[in-house]
Amino acid sequence: MNVTRFIKSSITVAEMEARKIRHDSAELWTRAIQPALWLLIFGETFNAIRAMPTGNFSYMQFITPGILAQSVLFISIFYGITVVWERDVGIITKLLSTPSPRSSIVLGKSLAASLRGVFQALMIFALALLLGVKIRFDLPDILGVFAVVVLFAMCFSSLSMLLASYMKTRDRMMGIGQALTMPLFFASNAIYPISIMPIWLQYVSIANPLSYVVDAIRSMLLEGTYQNLPVDILALLVFTTIFVTLASRTIKKLLE
Amino acid sequence: MSFDLGNSKMSDTAAIEAENLTKIYRDSIRAVDGISFSVKQGEIFGLLGPNGAGKTTTIKMMITLTRLTSGKLHILGVDVSEHPQEVREMLGYVPQSISVDVDLTAYENLLIFAKLSYVNKKERNERIRNALEYMDLSERANDLVKRYSGGMMRRLEIAQALVNRPKILLLDEPSIGLDPSSRKQVWKSIKQLNQEFGTTILITTHDMSEADELCDRIAIMSEGKIAILGTPMDLKRDVGGDIITANLGSPCSVVSFPKEVGQIINNNEKSIQILTTNGEEAIPLIADFFRSHGIKVESISINKANLDDVFMKYAKRRLGNNVYKNIRSTRRDFTRHSR
Repeated sequence: MNVTRFIKSSITVAEMEARKIRHDSAELWTRAIQPALWLLIFGETFNAIRAMPTGNFSYMQFITPGILAQSVLFISIFYGITVVWERDVGIITKLLSTPSPRSSIVLGKSLAASLRGVFQALMIFALALLLGVKIRFDLPDILGVFAVVVLFAMCFSSLSMLLASYMKTRDRMMGIGQALTMPLFFASNAIYPISIMPIWLQYVSIANPLSYVVDAIRSMLLEGTYQNLPVDILALLVFTTIFVTLASRTIKKLLE
Repeated sequence: MSFDLGNSKMSDTAAIEAENLTKIYRDSIRAVDGISFSVKQGEIFGLLGPNGAGKTTTIKMMITLTRLTSGKLHILGVDVSEHPQEVREMLGYVPQSISVDVDLTAYENLLIFAKLSYVNKKERNERIRNALEYMDLSERANDLVKRYSGGMMRRLEIAQALVNRPKILLLDEPSIGLDPSSRKQVWKSIKQLNQEFGTTILITTHDMSEADELCDRIAIMSEGKIAILGTPMDLKRDVGGDIITANLGSPCSVVSFPKEVGQIINNNEKSIQILTTNGEEAIPLIADFFRSHGIKVESISINKANLDDVFMKYAKRRLGNNVYKNIRSTRRDFTRHSR
């Protein structure tokens, strides 16, 4: 496979998404409402009652990376719905009939999802600034967070596309998405420390990829420590590669 | 605007060569059932048939959107199963339903598609401009496609298939849902493409007038098989030719015409119907015949055989021949009463 062509095609598919967002960005803003409410209502309340053992950090500090990861998770896990919709209006047919390799189309779509993830991250940073949450605004940390967000979104959106090739309809994808986000989110360290969970749930949360993402973002934004970062990023890279490879083989099923 | 006509050394390779092509879906439906045909370069080839006959599946196997179950399929000599990417590079494809991205402008649709087809950066903008001009969309190139009419979307769709200068254009029911004037415009562009640039065109349709208007050769598909293949002329001849109705001033008891004129299929004394192979040539002969017998002819009308008859004969054959016969006699009745 020609690498230059592969990369070009992937970027073009992401460019398509960027151009759509430029024409109509309303969705981006509406997507920011939910995480904002989590921070404002859930965050502020638990911050006030000090119910969570969050160590040296305030609850607001603790939950901000968690909500950032959560909002990116939501976007990417439901990305399959976007792809199913694009199948319904013929766009996927059109993309797959081009000479571009199918894997580059899938990779491009996952890049498109990460583009939306980056916007989410920007919104949450802005919100954190507004609410006066003390997070480290060092350039390397911020860049690191964006790198994790991009990889995370790519990983889960390609998983979502893989599922979509079997589920085939928006309704089913909606169901699957909801069934997945619920345990991923609540059995992770996003909104409370793992230590307060019952033992069995602690094991679940250790196997939960979201925990690692939150951990990585938290270590950069709050602690400024990076020792877990290589492992987190490597794990994301490995899973992204696996999911993109599998999804590029299965995506044709969407058309059948 | 100039199109590559492909390597001249390849000129005697068939544009499309299908050999025992079969597609069986998972639920063991034989969507395409061992068809063989060959499309010459520079030809407009029509794949006709009722809904579900397997036309779209055949096209999808060509553009590699669905895998063939068995048989062979070559596009300009390249095996679709072995080199799908190479095959997609030579083809332009206009799917049955609208598939342009309505959230982008026409220009952006073409730009993205050109990039995904690896059109050289230097040529890209010119090709896009040409394709837009060619499809008469230049003025609204920067409008979002969702503000376009159905006909404009269709034209954009064809423009999109043209940016990578395909050697073969696959059109899956290109005029479906279009009003008559947009349809004419699409037909015009299809013919023009074929004549000016020698693009081979494979078109599926269930509109017989479209096939008659455009196609050099036609294959009628029915239940996954090719029922008949030939030029529109051949096929029309096959269903028996034209029917001439002569209305007479006085009753006539003539039993037969000379063979070269035609055969009487209906005679109710004052109105006689004659089946001929070529209606235009038969009319003067028939008029002469009655005149020489001293019978006054009040009017003569002709009902040309058309592809609808061919279609009905072959596409619905399995419903029994009666269906076809009924259609034919209904048409005769209609002709008779419409006087």
